[in-house]
Amino acid sequence: MERKVCYVCGKDNLSKDEIGLTKKLLNKNIKCFYCFDCLAEYLEVDTDFLLEKVEEFKTQGCVLF
Amino acid sequence: MIYADNAATTKISDSVFEKMLPFLQEQYGNASSQYSLGVKAKRAIEQARQQVAVAIGAEPYEIVFTSGGSESNSWVLSSVNNGHVITSSIEHHSVINSCHSLERKGIDVTYLPVDSKGRVSLDSVKEAIRSDTRLVSIMLANNEIGTIQPIAEIGEYLCGRNILFHTDAVQAVGHIPVIVEELGVDFLTASSHKFNGAKGTGILYSRNGVSLPPLIFGGEQERGVRAGTENVAGIVATGYAIEESVKDMTVMADKLLAFVRATIYGIRAKIPNIIINGDENNHLPGIVNIVFDGATGESLMHLLDLKGICVSTSSACASGKDEASHVLMALGLTEQQAKSAIRISYGRYNNMNEVKTIVAAICNAYNKILSVKF
Repeated sequence: MERKVCYVCGKDNLSKDEIGLTKKLLNKNIKCFYCFDCLAEYLEVDTDFLLEKVEEFKTQGCVLF
Repeated sequence: MIYADNAATTKISDSVFEKMLPFLQEQYGNASSQYSLGVKAKRAIEQARQQVAVAIGAEPYEIVFTSGGSESNSWVLSSVNNGHVITSSIEHHSVINSCHSLERKGIDVTYLPVDSKGRVSLDSVKEAIRSDTRLVSIMLANNEIGTIQPIAEIGEYLCGRNILFHTDAVQAVGHIPVIVEELGVDFLTASSHKFNGAKGTGILYSRNGVSLPPLIFGGEQERGVRAGTENVAGIVATGYAIEESVKDMTVMADKLLAFVRATIYGIRAKIPNIIINGDENNHLPGIVNIVFDGATGESLMHLLDLKGICVSTSSACASGKDEASHVLMALGLTEQQAKSAIRISYGRYNNMNEVKTIVAAICNAYNKILSVKF
């Protein structure tokens, strides 16, 4: 599988959760991905808050994570 | 938190909560018990039945308490055991899936189309009627787009035709005037938590002389058609909540309509190409359903959630399966448009400052979504 890098900071090898969260929050067809920190900065929320959201989505059974 | 998903559920009213609380603690008797504690519970249930009956213009003995709207809807639909049923293509899943169950039993079901505003026409009902039509079930107001159906017209037409008429009024009761006699219905469904009552309590109006087969066998509760120890606290809450909602319905409707107009005006000023779904002239006061070109409703909903704002998307997204709303598709929207919609539904506890915050947050979230590189 192709390695994904953060569109903003260039962080390499983004995790499945980082890729899934970018898709979940911005667009399922997105080709540019964000690491947790850059996504949090873009959306003006705390990184920890986004991590909580990831757990919520997993609880809901979302297949993106 | 700003809660703007009142079509999904509502916060229980403070005064209603106070009224139901004793029945969870001090007055916890079983309404079937013969001693004083039980009799008090029984009286409280009958008082609630009276309150509900008055609110919808029925007689108390025509009211049965259930566990919610889905149970009431399923009960009515499942009572059909042969012939033909007519419903609309934009019903709640409790009706749609009950109809699918009937079809598996060999019963024919006609799903009437709606126009681009979500209205069923009387002509389409007339055309669909067959000699073996047993039941027509059309919702009073739609949960996703707020469109109000011509139930009284349909009821008038069906009167004397030996066809039972049911309306799912879950979104309407407590929000717009609902009088069963004027609607000409045999059955009507309502749900307590949609009008600031308690979850887990529903209403089924069944016109005098029209009987349903028992749903649950056991004791003599609810005249023996729905056995089981009553949810006394929930039923008490239902009685007070419907009374309270009907009492200030006009004032509340004006307030909610102002919120909806401010929302549409505010968003349109920044995002001119939004599409408003529903029927402007026949509409529940607090619901607005908006399509945002280029963004998915799911993304918008989640970005608003990050800001502490609760709205709803019409698509089923919890599992990651991205299904478009059957209601929006029935209006003639493309799948992409249907997936780009959110529903904002205001309620008793919202205020204009919250509306302004929601408008600003939506415009901001929309820009965030459109600004990312695809």
